[in-house]
Amino acid sequence: MQLAEHPLEAGAAAVMEPPPLLSLRGMGKRFGSLQALDGVSVEIASGEIHCLLGENGAGKSTLCNLVFGVYQPDAGVMQFGGREYRPSGPADALTQGIAMVHQHFSLVPDLSVVDNLLLGQARGILKRGECAQRVRTLSENYGLALDPFARIRDLSVGERQRVEIVKCLMREPRLLVLDEPTAVLLPIEIEGLLQVCQRVAAQGCGVVLVTHKLAEIKKIAHRVTVLRGGRVVATSNDPANEIDLLVRAMIQRDLEGLDASASAMFGAPATDAPEQDREIGHRIEDEALQVNGLTVRDAEGVARLDNFTLIVNRGEIVGIAGVEGNGQSELAAVLAGMLPATDGRFFVAGKNMTGKSPQEVTAAGVGVVPEDRHAVACITGMSLAENLFLNRLDRFKRWGLLDRKALRESARALMQEFDVRAAGPDLSFGSLSGGNQQKAVLGRELTTEGLVLLLAAQPTRGLDVGAVEAVYGQIRKACERGVGVLLISSELDELISVADRIVVLYRGRIMGHCVAHASERERIGAMMAGHVE
Amino acid sequence: MKLEMLAVFAGSSLRLAMPLLLSATGELVSERAGVLNMSVEGMMLTGAFAGAMGSLATGSPVLGLLIGIIAVMPVAALQAFLSNTLRANQIVTGIGINIFVLGATTTAYRAVLGSRSRTEIPGLGKWSPPFLGDIPYFGDAVFHQTWMLYAGLVIVALTAWVMRYTALGLAVHAAGAEPRAVDKSGLSVMRIRYGAVFFAGFMSALAGCFLSIGDIHTFTEGMTNGAGYLALAGVIFGNWKVGRTVMACLFFGAATALQFQLPAMGVDVPNAVLIMLPYLMALLAVGGLVGRQSAPPYLTHAFVR
Repeated sequence: MQLAEHPLEAGAAAVMEPPPLLSLRGMGKRFGSLQALDGVSVEIASGEIHCLLGENGAGKSTLCNLVFGVYQPDAGVMQFGGREYRPSGPADALTQGIAMVHQHFSLVPDLSVVDNLLLGQARGILKRGECAQRVRTLSENYGLALDPFARIRDLSVGERQRVEIVKCLMREPRLLVLDEPTAVLLPIEIEGLLQVCQRVAAQGCGVVLVTHKLAEIKKIAHRVTVLRGGRVVATSNDPANEIDLLVRAMIQRDLEGLDASASAMFGAPATDAPEQDREIGHRIEDEALQVNGLTVRDAEGVARLDNFTLIVNRGEIVGIAGVEGNGQSELAAVLAGMLPATDGRFFVAGKNMTGKSPQEVTAAGVGVVPEDRHAVACITGMSLAENLFLNRLDRFKRWGLLDRKALRESARALMQEFDVRAAGPDLSFGSLSGGNQQKAVLGRELTTEGLVLLLAAQPTRGLDVGAVEAVYGQIRKACERGVGVLLISSELDELISVADRIVVLYRGRIMGHCVAHASERERIGAMMAGHVE
Repeated sequence: MKLEMLAVFAGSSLRLAMPLLLSATGELVSERAGVLNMSVEGMMLTGAFAGAMGSLATGSPVLGLLIGIIAVMPVAALQAFLSNTLRANQIVTGIGINIFVLGATTTAYRAVLGSRSRTEIPGLGKWSPPFLGDIPYFGDAVFHQTWMLYAGLVIVALTAWVMRYTALGLAVHAAGAEPRAVDKSGLSVMRIRYGAVFFAGFMSALAGCFLSIGDIHTFTEGMTNGAGYLALAGVIFGNWKVGRTVMACLFFGAATALQFQLPAMGVDVPNAVLIMLPYLMALLAVGGLVGRQSAPPYLTHAFVR
């Protein structure tokens, strides 16, 4: 591995024997005041699986989008197949033989699989039958089971990803770019995806894989490029044996300094995670939350949440595991007072809060970190200080007016306590990074008066290691204060290392309860996929 | 006697539905691609005016039709430019265009013909299809119409087919449902949306010409009289599907025809209620009282990569 002194040398140092399939030299891209990429050079050979590693905001997605022509670079030269390559849009990339699986799916939900595959590839009259036949052939060759005439909206996240991949494969690309493709998949689906990558690479296609997960790198990467702050900070030709160095380069810190949760996620597989000796229902016997047979039906009468019953004690972290879309959102929305339950009741500290408004729920001592931060938890157009006290601006009233000075001072204190990094409390909330936004939301909710229960739904989604560590540090601190925590997450490794016990949701039903221990990982994984014990 | 009346009713329903049918089909394509083309009314009026003037000047209604279509293209270009390139609010710009066109055609009409003129303008010929035209009672009342009506029906059917079975239709659908997917599959969302607005302009021009040189052979100030808005309602009523939109337009046409038929049948209904009928239906449709609506998710959302 080379730790780069100057970005350009890192690329130049990685000399390959055959001419590279794709070569990027000194790529630069600026968004407003943010230098997203700065002098990045990478080379990718045919048949190579090249992983891009880095924290959020390190520039990985930007780099992929430059290659795919979504953005145009401010600086740098790209060469593809030995010739200069300057895409003005995705169309250019596609005609050159570059295909990309995007971080956010680019499928039309109300069309069938076949129609999505034909979009942009067919001319004139659609030959749906012919396309379906090709899908079946590809499905067989790569082990990607798909019903060609299913509608996208009826497919699971994993199946949608398969459609994305088949869409790429149908173009028979020379370079396949996958931007964090495993973030939303079940463990077994991740396995399948990695195998597809290997098979594609074996056929001589170059593969660029963006990922957070070191286990995946260990498994399939031929080479790794680490980005930090828009620059190449390290490259490795033997990633499997240099994981620790790569992580250090990525976060500029030693792994030991990280929280156990982060190391479980990033370093060794979860089975090596430290033993947890906390027990179920320890310390205070007081219940923070009791849920009795909560049921939510949607407009079509389908049960999104089915007879959900659970007790969360004070000072306990209960994790809700499950692939997204299995009732977690509905559960969180009902408990936050944002969605009426069809049936069932729930109690916070012994008080029946069923059907109460969000305001009443907050008054009862429930802090809510919602799943959709931008839609529910904050107002991005308002300042950080205003967002920090959004639910209790009353407190800063003087003569009926808002005392901005007091608000600013309190905001500064809160920013310090929760390590919200921003130039000042008056900054627009939208200009903060995702991690700092989430820390701010968490800070606000954890300082809710008379906090009994913290409801955290996917609190680390889209956050980098440092922020994840900070979020869980704060949640644990609250827990030690005697707050009950209901933690909903689709990141199983995080749940295992943070929660005391885990409840698995599948299609709105509880599939089982487990102690949060690494040895239970496979059992939980099976339950997440709907296997009954 | 009764049968004769029914035939007249059916014939006039079809005739009155035709401008709606044409403009609503164009509007549907535009909305499917994600552009709410509020300026249908203005486009129709432009088409009606330019078609009539063209026909009057050249003496040939066919040339008039052609001039009508050409005259609407700048309006369509303006709407497409404002809503796609400048990403302006599509409702505001559409209404602005409508008001502008109403003023412009009125002024131009008065300047050209004088405000009192009711000049007969050469109109498009009528045609009875073989066999259908020979059906007793119905043949003459229903099937003796301007040839443009039949051509319009063919165009509507063709549009439905294109939307359903071709790559173009798929791309239009996807541009309104998930434009990012369109962009990432290598197609240009801009081109699809510009094209869709121009098609809406073309269809509105046909609808306008149908009014002025197809149906009554004259132009009157503001003669579209809200038909464009009815077409918009027809698309909502039809839940953004061609078949259902056609049904909705026929229904509006029948409601309009009822205005003239009910008094003739001796039914005593206040005239005001009759005039209100199609608009009342449209209001109910827009109010979402007729089943669940499923508008294209990215309707009115300008595309930014």
